[in-house]
Amino acid sequence: MEMMSGDHSFTMTGRERNVLFGFMGLGLLCIVLTLLGDDAVHSRFWSNYLINAVFFTGVSFIALFILAAFTTTYTGWYIVVKRIWEAYAQFLLVGLILMLVLIIGIWGHFHHLYHWADEAAVAADPVLSGKASFLNKYWYTFGTVIILGTWYFLFARPMRKMSLREDVEGQDADFSLYKKYKRYSAIFLPIGAFTSAALIWQWVMSVDAHWYSTMYAWYTTASWFVACLAITIMLVIYLKNRGVLPFVTTEHMHDLGKYLFAFSIFWTYLWFSQYMLIWYANVGEETTYFHTRINQYPVLFYGNLVLNFLVPFFILMRNDTKRKAGTLFFVALVVLLGRFLDFFQMVKPGVLHTTHEALAHHGEAAATEAAHHTSSFTAGFTVPGLLEIGTFLGFLAFFIFFVFKQLEKAPLLPKNDPYLAESLHHHVQ
Amino acid sequence: MSQHTKEVFYGLYNDEEDLIHAIKEANAQHLDIMDVYTPFPVHGLDKVMHLEESRLHIAGFIFGSIGLLTAFGFMTWVFTRDWPIIFGGKPYWSVPAFIPITFELTVLFAAIGMVVSFYTVCGLGPGVSNPILDERITDDKFCIAFETTDADLGALQAFFKKTGAGEVHTKTI
Repeated sequence: MEMMSGDHSFTMTGRERNVLFGFMGLGLLCIVLTLLGDDAVHSRFWSNYLINAVFFTGVSFIALFILAAFTTTYTGWYIVVKRIWEAYAQFLLVGLILMLVLIIGIWGHFHHLYHWADEAAVAADPVLSGKASFLNKYWYTFGTVIILGTWYFLFARPMRKMSLREDVEGQDADFSLYKKYKRYSAIFLPIGAFTSAALIWQWVMSVDAHWYSTMYAWYTTASWFVACLAITIMLVIYLKNRGVLPFVTTEHMHDLGKYLFAFSIFWTYLWFSQYMLIWYANVGEETTYFHTRINQYPVLFYGNLVLNFLVPFFILMRNDTKRKAGTLFFVALVVLLGRFLDFFQMVKPGVLHTTHEALAHHGEAAATEAAHHTSSFTAGFTVPGLLEIGTFLGFLAFFIFFVFKQLEKAPLLPKNDPYLAESLHHHVQ
Repeated sequence: MSQHTKEVFYGLYNDEEDLIHAIKEANAQHLDIMDVYTPFPVHGLDKVMHLEESRLHIAGFIFGSIGLLTAFGFMTWVFTRDWPIIFGGKPYWSVPAFIPITFELTVLFAAIGMVVSFYTVCGLGPGVSNPILDERITDDKFCIAFETTDADLGALQAFFKKTGAGEVHTKTI
C-alpha cells in the first residue's frame, strides 16, 4: 500500500475535519435538545433516529448494489468513482450498529416506534396479531442482524479487500481477482434485491403496522438509490474542485446526472403506481395511509413530488444542465433535501399515531388531548423542525467523515481495474 | 430530387482516429468538406466538423407536450362534457386514472413526431432516391467527401495523401 500512496492519494484537510466535526456537534446538540423537549416516550428523538439510520444504511446498501450491478453488466465508465462507492458500502457496518440500538430499544421498550412491539396492543388487535408471525421482535432482530451482517461481512468488506488487493498485486493472466469480484457481485444482486425488501418492511413499512403496500419496498429502494446518487454527485464535484479527482471528467458527471434524472423518474413512477393502485381499489385499510398524508401533511405530500420529480425532471431534461457542475450540484442538493422529506413523511405520521396511543396508555391528560387533535401543527412531526434538519446534517457529516476516512486508506484511482482505460477515455457525446 | 447531380471527390479511411485527424487538417487548410460518412456514430465528430447542435429534441419536447395536452384534454372533455360515466364511484374528472394514458400519448406523439420531423428534414422517405457513395461506408470505411465544383483538385489530392486516405475516387451522384 505504501508505494501506491504517491499517486491519487487522499488526505482529509484540517479544515474539512473541523467543518465535519462542527456539523456532527450540531447534530449531537440537536439530538440532546430533541430529547430535552420531547414527550414521555421520546418519540421525536426515536423517529429522527430511525429516519437517519435507515437513510444512510440504505445509501450504503445502494452503493454496494451499484458496484455489484455495474460489475455484472460489464460497465466501464464508473471506475473513476468506484472507490467512492466502495467507501460508502463500508458504512454498512455502522448501519448495523445504528440498527442494533433500535433493536435494543424494542427489547427494552425504550421507544414506541412500532405498534406491533406493544404486546398488549397486539393481543387486543386482530390485524396486528394476524401479522405477529412476521412483525415481532425476534424476526426484527434476526432479519436486521443476519441480513445487514451478510451484506457487510460476506460482500462489502471482502469486495473492498479484493479491490484493494488488485491495486497492489495487479491482474494475473486469467484476471482471477476480477473474476472473483464478479462472482461476488453476481451472487449479491439477487440476495441484496430480496433481502432489502424484507428489511424495508420491518424497518419502515411496519411503522404503519396496520397498513401494507406491495410497492413499498421498490419505492423505498428507489428513494435510497436517488439519495445515493445525489450524495455521490455533490461529493464528486467537491472532490474534483479540491483537485483530488483530476481523472473525473464532464463525461462522467454527465452519466451520473443521467442516473439521477432516470432514477428520479423511476421513483416517481413507483410513487404514482403505489398511489393509483390504492386510489383505484379504494379499500379503507389501504387508503388511510394517503388520507392521513394528503389531509394532514399536504405540504410534505405535494412538496415531495415537486422536489423529487418536477425539479430534477425539468432541470436535468436538457443535455447541458447535466454537464455543468453548478446546475448538477444544485439539483443534487434539492433532491437530497427531497429524499430526506420523503423518508420523513414515510415515518412520522405512523409514529405520531403510535405515540398518541402509547401516551394515552400512560394516562397523560395532555397526551390524550393530543390524540384527538392529530391534525394540529406539530413541528418535528407534521413538518421537519430545525432540530430535524440539524440531526440530519449531523448524520450526513458523520457519513461523509466515515467516507473520507475510507478514502484515505487507498488511492482514489483503482489502477489495475480491467475497465480503467475505458473509464478514463469515456465519452458520451 | 434526381435532377440535381453533382460530382463528388471522396477519400476512404480505415480508422475513425485517422478520420478525425483528417477533418482537423481540412479545417486547418480551409477546405470545404461536403459531408462525412461513417458506418457508426463517431464521438467528437460533431465538434471537429463544427456542426450545430440538433434541434430534434426541441421538436420532441413540443410534440410530447402536444400529446400530453391532447390526451388530457380529450379525456377531460369526454368524461366531463361529452359522455360522463361514473366508474367505481370515482368522480367524473378522475385525474389519477388519466395519468397513464396521458403518459402513453406523450411518448407516442414525441416518438412519431420526431421520426416524421427527422425524415422530413433529411429528405428521406419511401420512394426517395438515396445514392450512396461507396457501399463500404456502411461497413468498415470512413469517408470524407468534397464537391468538385470550385475545388482545387490538386490540393484535395495532396490533402488525402497527407492524411493517409487508403483510396480516393470521383463519382457523380
